[in-house]
Parts: sequence; C-alpha cells; structure tokens
Amino acid sequence: MRRLILNIHLVIGLAAGLFVILLGITGSILAFEPELDRWVHRDISYVKPGGRVLSLVEIGDAISHKYPGESVVAFLPSRAPEFPTQVILSRGIISVNPYSGEVLGLRTRGQSFFGVVRALHVRLAMGSIGRAVMDWSAFVTLVSLITGMYLWWPVKRMRIGGAWWSAKFWYDLHSSSGFFFSLPALFLAGTGVILGFGDQATRLLNRVIASSTAGNNERAPIQKPDMGGAEISPDRAIAIARAQVPGAVPYRVQMPRYGGLYVVALELPRNRVTGERNSIALDPSTGRIVSEHLASALSLRERLMATNSAIHNGNILGMPSRIVAALASIVLPVQAVSGLLIWLRRKGLLRTR
Amino acid sequence: MRRFIPWFLLLAIGSMAANLTGTWSGRFTPEGGEHNIPQILVLKQQGQTLSGSAGPNAGEQYPIENGRVDGNKATFQVTTGEWKLTYNLTGDGESLKGDLKLESPTESRSAKVTLNRTKN
Repeated sequence: MRRLILNIHLVIGLAAGLFVILLGITGSILAFEPELDRWVHRDISYVKPGGRVLSLVEIGDAISHKYPGESVVAFLPSRAPEFPTQVILSRGIISVNPYSGEVLGLRTRGQSFFGVVRALHVRLAMGSIGRAVMDWSAFVTLVSLITGMYLWWPVKRMRIGGAWWSAKFWYDLHSSSGFFFSLPALFLAGTGVILGFGDQATRLLNRVIASSTAGNNERAPIQKPDMGGAEISPDRAIAIARAQVPGAVPYRVQMPRYGGLYVVALELPRNRVTGERNSIALDPSTGRIVSEHLASALSLRERLMATNSAIHNGNILGMPSRIVAALASIVLPVQAVSGLLIWLRRKGLLRTR
Repeated sequence: MRRFIPWFLLLAIGSMAANLTGTWSGRFTPEGGEHNIPQILVLKQQGQTLSGSAGPNAGEQYPIENGRVDGNKATFQVTTGEWKLTYNLTGDGESLKGDLKLESPTESRSAKVTLNRTKN
C-alpha cells in the first residue's frame, strides 16, 4: 500500500510539478496584491489625513475642473483615512485627496504585472485549456498533499538536518516543510479546486441544499427609473443606502448615466466573508430604492462559496490568515523542487553530498 | 457567370451599407472564462457615427463612446465601471460578429462576441 501511495505521490508530482510551482509562486504574490499594488503606485495611493472629508459632489467638481466635459462613471470613496478617493472616468481611474480635492494622478486601464500574475494563477495566461490545466493542477496538489501526509506519518520528520545540498537536507526539507504547512496548504488546494470547478460545486451544493437556495436574495430586475426630475446627489444616494444597512461603509457609487440607476455598494467591516456584498440601487430622480442585495439575505450556498473564496485568498481572518496563505503557497514550490531533487538523486541523475 | 457579377456587387454593397440602428442581443465569453455573459445593445447609426447604449440587460445600459461605422465594420467602447469594453465588429445587416477587448486597471482580456438583430 505504501509503495502504491509513494508511486502516486511521485508520478503526480513529476507530471504537474511545474504547474504546482507556478500556482504556489503566483498565489503567494496574490495574497498581498492590494498592498503590493499600492506600493507600486504609491505616488497616487496615499494621502496625509487631516481636515474635513470632502463630499462626492465637491470631489466631482474638482474632477470637472481638471477634466472638463468628462462624466464620472463611479466614485470609490476612501476606505481608510490614509487612502485617496478614486473616481472612475472613461479614460481611467483618478486618485483624489479627499481632504483637499487635489488630483493625485491617473491610472489607465490595461494589463499590469498583477494582471499577468492572476492570469497565470487562474488560467496559465491562456484560454480554456490553460484554465483546465490549472484547475486540474490544483486537484493534483490536493492529492499530492494527502499522499504526502500519509507518507510522512511513519517518519514524522519535523526538522532539517544534514549539510546543505546533502540527500538528508533535501529529504528533511521536503518532509518538515510539508508537515508544518500541510494543513493550510490543504485548505488552499481544496478551496482552489472548488473555485476551479465552481460550476460543478454550485450544482452539487444546489442539489444538497436545494431548499435553502431558492433564490431568496436574487436581485430584483432593475426597473427603468423615472428620469423626469432633477437627480439627487451621490452623497444623498449614499445616505439613503446607508440607512438600509446600519454600520456599513460605502465603497462604491455607480453614477446613473452608467447603468440607469445609482448603485451604492456598502461594506460591513467586521464581516470579512460576505461584508462587501451589499448593494442598493436607487432611482436617481426620486431616491426610491429600486432593488437591494444584502449580505444578510445571502443563501446558504452563496455563503459557503463566499467562505470558500475567503479561505482561498486568506481574507477569512484578515492579515494573519493572509500571511499563513502566502507562506503555505510558497512552500508548494519548495515541496516540488525538493521532491524532484530527491527523485533525481535516487535515480542516480544527481549527485548530492 | 459575368452577368451575375453586378448582382454580387450590389448585394455586397447593400450588406455593407446596412444601417446598424436597432436592438441587438447576444453573448460573450472572456478567454479562459466559464460564464457566458449576456449582451443587449441599442444602437443608433447616423452616417458613420454610432451611438446608443449597451449592457447585460435592457434595464442596465451604459452609453456607447467613440462609436464609428466604416463599411461593414463597427467599432465602439463601453465603460461599465472599472472595466472598459472595446468592440471591433463586422456586420451583415442581421448579425454582428467580432472581437471584444475587456480592460480593467490591472487586467486585459479578450472575447469573441456574436450579436443578432432583435426583431421587435
């Protein structure tokens, strides 16, 4: 039995090792994408807090002054005192100091380093074939981790001995790193498989918990708003939306010219799983709520899938779980490389000390 | 055979000059994506200028920008928020087919799109 498990562990490791390395490296980068992205664009990502926060109307005026004749697509209000408010225009995303109205800079659309990293992680930066390869690589990682735990159990190696580049060093590195990070890596791989095979997972969940997924929170069809009168301001739209979700903080206001309605997205800061999934659509001329989509009304299936995503991206417990997710991701390439070196040495293809 | 050539030419010119004004519906799938995204376009052509709106349904529509028709080719853009969609389509009067480029501040993806004229 052990021989069979070892062969499975070996064959899938050799077959998918390269993709597992890619999943691990890209995953560890994506765990800190918001921070890294802000650091890359640090000249337009930070402001010095101080004074009164300007209303969205005032920020819109500052934008009109800088970019006359351009319509605001959406406002992304600042989510922390040191972050700017962002304003989406057709030409790109503008960062504005919410205390002074100063325009910090423009970010245009297009492929970025993080876009490439995400594309590699999800679909090998290719089409449906690349996506299938990465989905199955996640599954292979899961099987590799489970078989690795089985193989580790009788040995129970938990520390690295032996000289650098010795056979013992690579074996210990493979075993001990696998032991310390196997549990978070299992969670990452398992949740990754569910994300990769999302349609199948959704169908399965629908079958298992059909009674609780009867569309109790499906967004109501958006009705045509009454465009007869003057529009309410985006600040007024936020005030109306906030009254519907006590304790929530607005993080996005879509303007009515883009979509026909005000759509205010709100976050419940303490809810890291579904807290961002509140949106209220308002008639721009009357302020009447046309439809609402609240985190509190999500179905069990939606909550389970959101929890799965939060575990996978490390957001489930905030920064501590993101650090664990990044470390567990980076252990995957360590496992793949050390496993390959062990195999090469045993085959006599590599000389170690 | 020669006598048919003028008819072929007339037919070709006729299809190229077809006015795109009207409602169009279809779907697109971004490369490597799992989901088919519905599309409804309400186009208005005046000469070589194309205006109107586009969106996932009749109620949620976004204005068309930089719309232009050149022969049987139509190009236009739609900003839905962080994403900007750039359409590059070829039409025969009843259907529009071509490429769609989707760009956000971090990503750029492409898709094939097919739209058919909706009969009201």
